[in-house]
Amino acid sequence: MTAHDAMLDDVAVYALGALPADEAAAVRAHLATCAECTREYQRLKPAVDAVAYSAEACADRAAGAVVPNPRLKARIMNTIRPQAIPRLANVGEMRAVRPIVWPAYAVAAACLAIALITSVFNISLNEQLHQSQLQVAQFATHARLLNRQVALQREELADLTSSDSQHYAVEGGEVVRRGNRLYIAMQTMAMPPRGKVYQAWIMRPGATRMTPSVTFMPDRGGIAVLPIPVQGTKVVEVAVSMEPDGGSKQPTSKPTFVVKLT
Amino acid sequence: MENAAGLMARVRERDAGAFETLYDTHHRLVYGIAYRILGDTAAAEDVTQSVFLKIWSNPERFVDGNFSGWIARVARNQSVDVLRRRSPAAAELSESIPDGDWLEERAFSALDAEAVRNAVATLPAEQREPIELGFFGGITHAAIAQRTGIPLGTIKTRIRTGLRRLREALEQTVIA
Repeated sequence: MTAHDAMLDDVAVYALGALPADEAAAVRAHLATCAECTREYQRLKPAVDAVAYSAEACADRAAGAVVPNPRLKARIMNTIRPQAIPRLANVGEMRAVRPIVWPAYAVAAACLAIALITSVFNISLNEQLHQSQLQVAQFATHARLLNRQVALQREELADLTSSDSQHYAVEGGEVVRRGNRLYIAMQTMAMPPRGKVYQAWIMRPGATRMTPSVTFMPDRGGIAVLPIPVQGTKVVEVAVSMEPDGGSKQPTSKPTFVVKLT
Repeated sequence: MENAAGLMARVRERDAGAFETLYDTHHRLVYGIAYRILGDTAAAEDVTQSVFLKIWSNPERFVDGNFSGWIARVARNQSVDVLRRRSPAAAELSESIPDGDWLEERAFSALDAEAVRNAVATLPAEQREPIELGFFGGITHAAIAQRTGIPLGTIKTRIRTGLRRLREALEQTVIA
């Protein structure tokens, strides 16, 4: 046996814990420098632990096992518990599962309050909804009117500019007829004095007197374009006069113009 | 179940529940070693209590590795200390087993005690007896040689041979 083989034997005895202190110190020093002996030590250590495990007391008292007194655990736990810190997770879990018990009157009051708040909230929501629906309807009506106006204006523009329209010149403007539609289109019309308006008059075929038609006002630029609500083909003469606000049944002033549609 | 290293981490945070679990899973090992070495129940319980209270008061002593192997060595050393205080022949007692290293392989950390007992029992008596005397008797190789009447060199070789054979038997157990 070589000296190193002898050292490997000492390593085994060291692992077992059966060396005196001086020899154990020598082996420790050797292990720090010898890879082979370190590997041997690492291989044998689990075997030493296994020897320890073999002493584990059997739990079966009936089989003659020697087991510690159950009160030993109680003694140990009583010693360490005053120093223990409750786990936060456990405290959280306990709070999480702890039931909340409310008095019956508090539950009833809470339910009533919730019902009232819900009702008021619903009424408020219904009113808001009703207002919103009304506004939507008004907007829709307004939009329809605007569309109608745009359509009429497009129609008027087409009638006034069409090559097949009939134009009858008057002072400051003209009367235009296209098919059944009849228009007064003034470009330079003086603004009537306060309390006065312009009024259109029409003469039907075979009639001896003028029939009152719409009243109107020019804009600040002296422009007035208006359709005359009558079937244009059944008018033979058009006149405009200045009349009191609200119009007249008979002309009360000299006509601004009179034009025959021939 | 949470492993022992995880439980020890909680013990460092003063978790009594983790400590109780460690006690439940390891007290029979500690008590068994102490009883085997000291031979009486009262002393074995004292050692068991001392070992677990030290774990609670100084958990940093366990750094990493096989907790069962570590606590077994602590229990063995504590028991041998008791023997040393008792024995008039203290010079025969060996040094403590190093409990600060963790070179052992984790594969052996979960061995069943019954399987280990069987593996130890398969060792020839000439190897098993010096091993058990060294571990549970807490005496030096010289004292073993003196008690058995076998030369010191032979005792050392038998201890090494026996431990290697036990290692091989354990490997078979782990593989199986």
